[in-house]
Amino acid sequence: MNEFIEMISFVLRLATPLLALIIVTICFISLIHGKRTKHALIVLEDEERDIIYPVYFWENSIGRSRGSDIRINDGTVSRDHAVLLRRDNGWFITDTDSKAGVYVNGDKTDGRQPVYIGDQIAIGTSVLTLKRAKDSVPEEERKRKKRQPVNGSVILSFITVYILITAAEAIINMANADVVLPALGFLVIMWGFYIISKRIFKRKSFELESIALMMSGTGIVLSASHDTHQATVQLAAMLVGIILFCFMIWFIEIPDRVMKWRLAISILAICLLGSSLVLGSVQNGAKNWIVLGPISVQPSEFAKIAYIFVGASTLDQLQTKKNLFGFIAVTGLCLGLLFLMSDFGTAVIFFATFLIIAFMRSGDIKTVILAITAAVLGVIVILTVKPYIAQRFAAWGHVWEYAGEEGYQQVNTLIYSASGGLFGVGLSKGHLQYVFASENDLVFGLVSEEMGLLLALLFGFVIGGLMIYSRNVTTRSRSTFYSMAACSAGGLLVFQAALNIFGVVDILPLTGVTLPFISYGGSSMAACWGILAFIKAADERTYSGKKLKPRKEKKVPTPDIQPDEIDDDSEEYIEV
Amino acid sequence: MKKTQTRSLMVLLMTFAFFAGLIYHTVNLWTHSVEWASVPENAHLSDSNGLEKAGIIYDRNGVILAQSIDGKRIYNEDEVTRKACLHIVGDDSTNIATAVQTIYRSDISGYDFVFGLGLPNTIKQGKNMTLTIDSQVQKAAYEALGSYKGAVFVYNYKTGEIICTASTPAYDPQNVPEDIETNDQYEGAYINRSLSAAYPPGSTFKIVTSAAALSTIKDVENRTYDCDGHKKIGGKEINCFEPNGFVNFKDALARSCNVYFAQLALDMGKETMTNQAQKMGFNSYVTFDNIQSAKSIYDVSKANANDLAWSGVGQYTVLETPVNMAMISAAVANGGVPVKPYVVTGFTDRFGNTESRNTKVKTGSAMMSKEVADKLYDMMDYTVQTNYGKSSFPESLDVCAKTGTAEVADDGESHAWVTGFCKNQDCPLAFAVIIEHGNSGYGKAIPAASAVLSAAVEQYGI
Repeated sequence: MNEFIEMISFVLRLATPLLALIIVTICFISLIHGKRTKHALIVLEDEERDIIYPVYFWENSIGRSRGSDIRINDGTVSRDHAVLLRRDNGWFITDTDSKAGVYVNGDKTDGRQPVYIGDQIAIGTSVLTLKRAKDSVPEEERKRKKRQPVNGSVILSFITVYILITAAEAIINMANADVVLPALGFLVIMWGFYIISKRIFKRKSFELESIALMMSGTGIVLSASHDTHQATVQLAAMLVGIILFCFMIWFIEIPDRVMKWRLAISILAICLLGSSLVLGSVQNGAKNWIVLGPISVQPSEFAKIAYIFVGASTLDQLQTKKNLFGFIAVTGLCLGLLFLMSDFGTAVIFFATFLIIAFMRSGDIKTVILAITAAVLGVIVILTVKPYIAQRFAAWGHVWEYAGEEGYQQVNTLIYSASGGLFGVGLSKGHLQYVFASENDLVFGLVSEEMGLLLALLFGFVIGGLMIYSRNVTTRSRSTFYSMAACSAGGLLVFQAALNIFGVVDILPLTGVTLPFISYGGSSMAACWGILAFIKAADERTYSGKKLKPRKEKKVPTPDIQPDEIDDDSEEYIEV
Repeated sequence: MKKTQTRSLMVLLMTFAFFAGLIYHTVNLWTHSVEWASVPENAHLSDSNGLEKAGIIYDRNGVILAQSIDGKRIYNEDEVTRKACLHIVGDDSTNIATAVQTIYRSDISGYDFVFGLGLPNTIKQGKNMTLTIDSQVQKAAYEALGSYKGAVFVYNYKTGEIICTASTPAYDPQNVPEDIETNDQYEGAYINRSLSAAYPPGSTFKIVTSAAALSTIKDVENRTYDCDGHKKIGGKEINCFEPNGFVNFKDALARSCNVYFAQLALDMGKETMTNQAQKMGFNSYVTFDNIQSAKSIYDVSKANANDLAWSGVGQYTVLETPVNMAMISAAVANGGVPVKPYVVTGFTDRFGNTESRNTKVKTGSAMMSKEVADKLYDMMDYTVQTNYGKSSFPESLDVCAKTGTAEVADDGESHAWVTGFCKNQDCPLAFAVIIEHGNSGYGKAIPAASAVLSAAVEQYGI
């Protein structure tokens, strides 16, 4: 009998990574299908010279330079002349300090000015007429394409089976029902979230949420198989995270609102970090916890979200300016606070995010090199002044020589990852669970040992996949803000995952950061959902389900395409 | 927007670097999986864990040394054989660090990269393992050591196969004594003394001093000395066991004249002596089949002249492992180059696939030149002929050897040593025997070595 049950547990273990792979594959395929094909939204026609400029994006730079979205080869046009952008209530043009100015129907523009179909926009000596795409693009180039996202309930059904399988395996291995409540709680929250998302928020897609749910669910079952209390915390944190996710999607819906709140959010980021320095208690060598009664919070996790806000929201029009001063100042403050807290892992994550945002905003590789040089110098100075910090990373690269001391966690991770094989030894059957911080810092090893290397690797690749997806939709976003925020958020998750995974397997020094969505840690879990909101917002479809009321009373400019048409059957696509 | 996309390439590259790292980790894990899973710290495999479905361990003749039946580890049916093979086979625990059941536990317990240790016992089956040792020779060694603490190491100096690596005190792995941790009788029972213990080598070290002298002092073979049993060297007395009279180089080794070799060591100096000792494996470990020996030590950096003189006859702080000593004899027999020992012949999995190990003879770096080796070969031969008598050993083997009686610091009886090799090419064995506090190399170590070699002769029918 015992042997029979052992076999069942083994078979369930074989099925787990396969099922996870299916879920992830469906989600990513659906994400790819959900991406709008490249087609012109409107066109600008230079009737005099008989040139048609298709307008593909929600925000388009117009200018003479090679990088312009609409490149006008005309000596009288500035390199970065103007920005043509689409908002929910129509199209606008903004002069970006051009020499010759921008004229709409003969009047010089000042600031953001609405433009309508048929308007004549004079840029240098070029006079461009705004036209509907279908009016000027030949019939034969049009092609009908309709791709529906995979029904969310299908994906969720798979995730339900996946969670039930892992929970069943844990029940068999543990010979008790400790995981039942957390697993059921998870399923209830998951389906509730889906129904609310679909019915109330009218979201058309649920792939990103599904991916995050699958990972969070794995983390919850994993926690539950070791410590029921941890699973409860994790579950509550996921709920908070989902609420944060929904709030953020709402908050960043209107890019202009984000711009308005930019300063407040900068101050919030610094306050969050400062608060843990002032009120925080030291745990595991870093002063980054605030204990509020029964709850302890890690404010630096939430500061990451605020930091992306600050970095990605810029008043610059499509990176036509290179002013990073304010952002560098905020970064410097944040890094300084993190160093005071001795939270080097988070400091490195902030710095990496800074590099990503700085480069995406300025396009200047020199800035990046300069920042890295400054950081290296800074680190050298710190290590000279406080040499004991280097001691913490002494084991890096030769953990086996420090197996009893600084390398203990890494060595155990390697031993037990090797013991787990591709499919693991079974939930709760592992031995890494007895090593300190196994459920957060070493969670990659814990998953490897108990659930198998395949699943552990899959999670790594999924986080990387989120980044690739973020990058893939950059030109389909409703604003550069979303593109940049998504790339920074994806980059942050990848970088954090890299620090976590490579730290415990001795490819990088062990810094003690969490693995997004999977590691035990309430703040981390909730913050990861918040970060995911940036990626979700970059998906055009996110806001396409809702009918938007015109926000201004004045005459509504002729909308070319309402956002809700995007996935509609009536939409005409033009393959370019 | 185009700019944003172009610039986001940077983040994409970062992601690819991340993927590359994940792949690197996987490859790393794959190549090191057995090594990492096998460390004694692995709780899946320590404390009798992991032996439920472990494979069979055979000796060179197919004798079963250990097997798992109904989830229990069953060792050889003969108690003496069990004790004799304890240190190389191991027991259920992983206390004996150099035993194959400790070092290869992941292999024999059914570990593989794909399933790790995660297979259910119903379908798990560990690999069978064949060792080079001969359980009969092991048994002879165990019996020859008797109630003494000590060790025997015998290996084939042409192929490297370890025929015997025995150590006492031992215990029965089938019935581990409950008082093993407290009873003095079992002190150091977890240690394979032939590998993991280093002792003062005494006169056996004269082989090293001779090698140094032969390669650096011109005409040393004609150097003579009239020994009256003691001489002041470096300010203090150097004593011989008895006055050796008029000796040349060859006789000095045969009769083991301390004064002669002490003077040689002093004449050659620290550097030459250290160089030669290090060439012969001192200050480093012997490693084979993932087993690492203790370190043999020759360190005269803080020695005064008298200390240096004593170091030339294997006293002072000189320490040597039996395995290293056997390798020196093997090098002498082999023209200066020692063949590395090994103990694992190979594994066979449940499908009958065999995985052979050590199919190629591995040699260590040369310990001495061919000329020096050949001269030492004759000298060790001459030593047995003139001093111990060829009949002290099984005569068919034509053994060449050198004994040692090493004084120990704790005022107990001296350690008895013998090392040597068989000239008979049908039985090319090199050996080292140590009997702690055995008092006389000739009196105690030679009979033990002889008994072990006789068992080997019986096995190979020479």
